[in-house]
Amino acid sequence: MSAVVENHNHHDDHHHGPKKGIMRWLTTTNHKDIGTLYLWFSFAAFLLGGAFAMGIRAELFEPGLQLMDPIRYNQLVTMHGLIMIFGGVMPAFVGLANWLIPLQIGAPDMAMPRMNNLSFWLLPTAFAILLSTAFMEGGMPGFGWTFYAPLSTNYPNVAYFVFAIHIMGASSIMGSINVIVTIMNMRAPGMTLMKMPLFVWSWLITAYLLIAVMPVLAGAVTMLLMDAYFGTSFFDAAGGGDPVLFQHVFWFFGHPEVYIMILPAFGITSHIISTFSRKPLFGHSSMVYAMVSIAVLSFVVWAHHMFTVGMPLVAELFFMWATMLIAIPTGVKVFNWCATIFKGSITYETPMLFSIAFVVLFTIGGFSGLMLAITPADFQYHDTYFVVAHFHYVLVPGAVFSIMAAVYYWLPKWTGNMYDEKMGRLHFWLSFAGVNITFFPQHFVGLAGMPRRYADYALQFAEWNAVSSVGAFLFGLSQLLFLYIVVKTVFAGKKATPQVWDGADGLEWTVDSPAPYHTFDVPPKVK
Amino acid sequence: MSGGPLKNKVFVSLLGAVIFMFFFSFMLVPLYNVFCEVTGLNGKIYGPSDFFKKNNETYERQVNIRFLSTVNGSAPVTFYPSETNLEVMTDKVSRTSYIATNNTNKKLTLSIVPSVSPGLAAENVKKIQCFCFSEQTLEPYETQEWPVRFYVDSELSQNVNNVYLSYTLFEKEREEMLAANHEH
Repeated sequence: MSAVVENHNHHDDHHHGPKKGIMRWLTTTNHKDIGTLYLWFSFAAFLLGGAFAMGIRAELFEPGLQLMDPIRYNQLVTMHGLIMIFGGVMPAFVGLANWLIPLQIGAPDMAMPRMNNLSFWLLPTAFAILLSTAFMEGGMPGFGWTFYAPLSTNYPNVAYFVFAIHIMGASSIMGSINVIVTIMNMRAPGMTLMKMPLFVWSWLITAYLLIAVMPVLAGAVTMLLMDAYFGTSFFDAAGGGDPVLFQHVFWFFGHPEVYIMILPAFGITSHIISTFSRKPLFGHSSMVYAMVSIAVLSFVVWAHHMFTVGMPLVAELFFMWATMLIAIPTGVKVFNWCATIFKGSITYETPMLFSIAFVVLFTIGGFSGLMLAITPADFQYHDTYFVVAHFHYVLVPGAVFSIMAAVYYWLPKWTGNMYDEKMGRLHFWLSFAGVNITFFPQHFVGLAGMPRRYADYALQFAEWNAVSSVGAFLFGLSQLLFLYIVVKTVFAGKKATPQVWDGADGLEWTVDSPAPYHTFDVPPKVK
Repeated sequence: MSGGPLKNKVFVSLLGAVIFMFFFSFMLVPLYNVFCEVTGLNGKIYGPSDFFKKNNETYERQVNIRFLSTVNGSAPVTFYPSETNLEVMTDKVSRTSYIATNNTNKKLTLSIVPSVSPGLAAENVKKIQCFCFSEQTLEPYETQEWPVRFYVDSELSQNVNNVYLSYTLFEKEREEMLAANHEH
């Protein structure tokens, strides 16, 4: 964002400013530049993954095959999932971490700036490899983002998928190590762990989760590669392997992964709700303990994704109760947010609107999650659109809304300009309507028995699918408005004060807006 | 950071955690197999175990065994049980057979994977002789009868009166299969 560039002139002259042109971005080791790169990358991935989703909803607008054959449809579904998870949500959170963690703990930069540069530039490499399959004979992977073996081992171009996942994993692992080392070693004097802002806390926990499970994902895709090309039979029953084992290994990674995509959102929401209620957050330390409990529990619930594989009753009961247990720390967080809003002096700027919607809609997604956790009920819901509705409710108005809230909240700090409040609210209301029109009807068709991952469906689901598609187009188009608002704010807008928001509290609000290229050369004192 | 990241304790321990977790994912494979073997879960048929044998009164009784067959993918083989069900007494050895025909003019190498349902009955179905113990070969257009000798031990849970013994037949020529799959 160019506003940052101009500002370095005002700063102490013993610093070198950023390089000129493209080399600035290729060689940068500045946490703000790298944060910006991550955020733009994730925005691009969000639009691309969104375009795939538009293809899916266009095909599902009416029953029958209109636009594509089922193979193409499966490829769109798979790529939509992979791009949104590994290219959209995760890099957006890493971008926010890069921008905000050093500013919030009073550090001059991330602990390992060169590794930081590498972990960003691995991402476009990985996605270039993954997307290159679109131009190959055999096409893009079409086995779902969960790549269940042995379906995936018999798929064309699976090696490209495996290498892309390896590289994304390496990038995530390096990013997480950087986050933990920064937080552990570079906090300003006086900032004890329990005084850390909640976004930093949420990222500390997320980074530990990433370090624990990304290597397991790497192991899973390595076994997949060996099954596909080197004659092993980890997951192939013909050679004595077991396809159910794949699901266990995958979901051992997969369940912590879904918390990786929501914990930073909890941190963001806590900041924003407190700021716009003009009250300190209710229950700071209980928020920390809740996040730690959620993270620990995430390792013992994985088999609730696979209740129908034929597990014994004991295991089904264990995973059912363990899953339901997660509702308790999550409930603590939701009640704390409500208690923060209670009797606050609330104003409804765009970040606050997105955060309130986050609390309400994420809770709806959480409740459908509880329904899915009930083992006997899950046999009915498994692999239906009810599951699709559930995880989109926690990921779109959950993770994605929190990212949008964070962008509106910190954009004045990043660019020095206020965004257009009217446009921001319009974007919010369009997105809010779009999300609910898209995903709420999917609960109905799911409960009525519509299975997921098919390009076609029975006639009785036609009306709600048409509604769902209209909502999806509305949501998709309104994101172009978001792009317009962000670009406009980068170049123009009312100048922002250092504090930006009346009720904002934290070290990042003590530096100028836009934040100078180098901040906290001298560590601030934290009381 | 002075002295490079390798001098930093946090960094080194995190790096160690990453390496450990990578190998841990491979350790899950034997762990999973041992777990299934010990508990007899997942319909896998292994040796005796007493994990789930709680206070089951043992007495001789009649059990209905049903035989199923599945041909995996598009293996060019006709494969079916010679009888679809059998009433057997517990602890008495019974014999049945499966019939397999090679529908091609090539020699085929096959492996056949058994599975028992309900899963908890898996450890009570004891096979003495089975075509699933080793690979089978079929000459071009050959038909073979493959015998199975087995008994159901009397520790089978009283709640189970029907046991399904299912065989899935796989063609062993993986390279050819892969090549064929990669062509389209």
